[in-house]
Amino acid sequence: MRDAVLRAEEVQKSYDGLAVLRGVSIDVGRGEVKVIIGPSGSGKSTLLRCLALLEPVDSGAVWLEDARVSGVREKELAAHRSEVGMVFQRFNLFQNMTALGNVMCGLVEVRRLGKREARERAFEFLDRVGLRDKADTYPEELSGGQQQRVAIARALVMRPKAMLFDEPTSALDVELVREVLDVMEGLARDGMTMVVVSHELRFAHHVASSILMMDEGKIIEEAPPEQFFSSPSHERTRRFLALVE
Amino acid sequence: MLASFDTHIFWEALTSSPYWKGALLALELTFVSLATACAIGFFLALGRNSRFWWVRGFVFFYNWIFRATPTLLQLLFIWNALPQLWDAFAGSWFKPFLAAYIALSLNEAAYMSEIIRAGLLSVDPGQELAGRALGMTRPRILRRVIVPQAVRIIIPPTGNEFITLLKLTSLAFVISLHELLTAATVRATVAFRYLEAYTAAVVYYLVIVSVLMVVQAQLERRFTWKSARRRRRAPVPAVAHDAR
Repeated sequence: MRDAVLRAEEVQKSYDGLAVLRGVSIDVGRGEVKVIIGPSGSGKSTLLRCLALLEPVDSGAVWLEDARVSGVREKELAAHRSEVGMVFQRFNLFQNMTALGNVMCGLVEVRRLGKREARERAFEFLDRVGLRDKADTYPEELSGGQQQRVAIARALVMRPKAMLFDEPTSALDVELVREVLDVMEGLARDGMTMVVVSHELRFAHHVASSILMMDEGKIIEEAPPEQFFSSPSHERTRRFLALVE
Repeated sequence: MLASFDTHIFWEALTSSPYWKGALLALELTFVSLATACAIGFFLALGRNSRFWWVRGFVFFYNWIFRATPTLLQLLFIWNALPQLWDAFAGSWFKPFLAAYIALSLNEAAYMSEIIRAGLLSVDPGQELAGRALGMTRPRILRRVIVPQAVRIIIPPTGNEFITLLKLTSLAFVISLHELLTAATVRATVAFRYLEAYTAAVVYYLVIVSVLMVVQAQLERRFTWKSARRRRRAPVPAVAHDAR
């Protein structure tokens, strides 16, 4: 069996009696890029939050490599969270820190690295997203695309086992989408394990190992991009693709 | 006809030691009370959102008691009634300053807790989410991310509270604390020169509050997260709905 980095088993989750995830299983192997698409309210973001260990699951289980990470105590959970990188739709950069401060934060506060070493590594990762010269700039003064790249660097610097992206480009102006997708494509090429909720179908086509279609709290179809786009087996997928294209 | 204003008497009052000592005392009392109130208020604010009902209940009860009763009554209660209730406070160590400090701190904490709560709530929940995703613990997220951002919102109303509290210290003259208003009253009644004596006190209060306003402006700038000290409004980032 190939080794799975991140795995969800029959995950169920509801908010105030409203079932958002109704038995979802996903298995992300090392170096795989899974792109999740689906209409709003289908549970994509909730699934991602469960994988990022930000939401407890009602039933089912989440595994990070060999460790079962659902249903463990909050303190252990914090440690596990630092091993999964999460990138949000609205960037969520710490407003009171510079770009450099944002990238350093996890190293200093979670990994307990010294300031100097943290700074060096943070610079290295800012460089990787092409923003070394913005190190001393506060988020408010950066463009959306730049903010999202800093957010990616902030997650990457922790050397996560997997990266999760929750609609990373949907809050961006059209001309800023490319720079973020470029960074993500570079990551995929370098073999990063990724789960991406996105409707950037061209990106999905290029980069994804497989594409998952979610609807009403379930994964209704999973297939490699070629097959997914050319001959989707599910009627719901066909209708959705027709709308998104 | 305007009665004469005796500049000499005014100047004498202004520079007399009971005045500046009284002003210093008022200022000290304000500072320590506000600092203590901020600390208590912070925990009260956190307690408001506690998952334990009895913690929420306590905060509600506390705020209710201290906001519903007159500050003067609280002051008299602590000074006169507390020693009767509890022998330990009957000793000579229990000075007017200490009584005023306790009363004003407890009173002000009720108001500060609401201000701090509003400040904490004003921080985008996405900030905490990002901190959790990084693996930060809740106390760390509070200290490094949420509190620094909330402070920006908390400063202006806290400046108001400082002013209110400064003026409330004058109530402490009923428990024979020799603060500024006591000095003014004493001087006024000795020579029956109310005009000059009170005007001198007015000057002190105005000066203190003016200094505070400058300090507040400095603090607000300190907690503005811009690389340059440009005061322009930055463009609002595009906000899309947060899909679940």
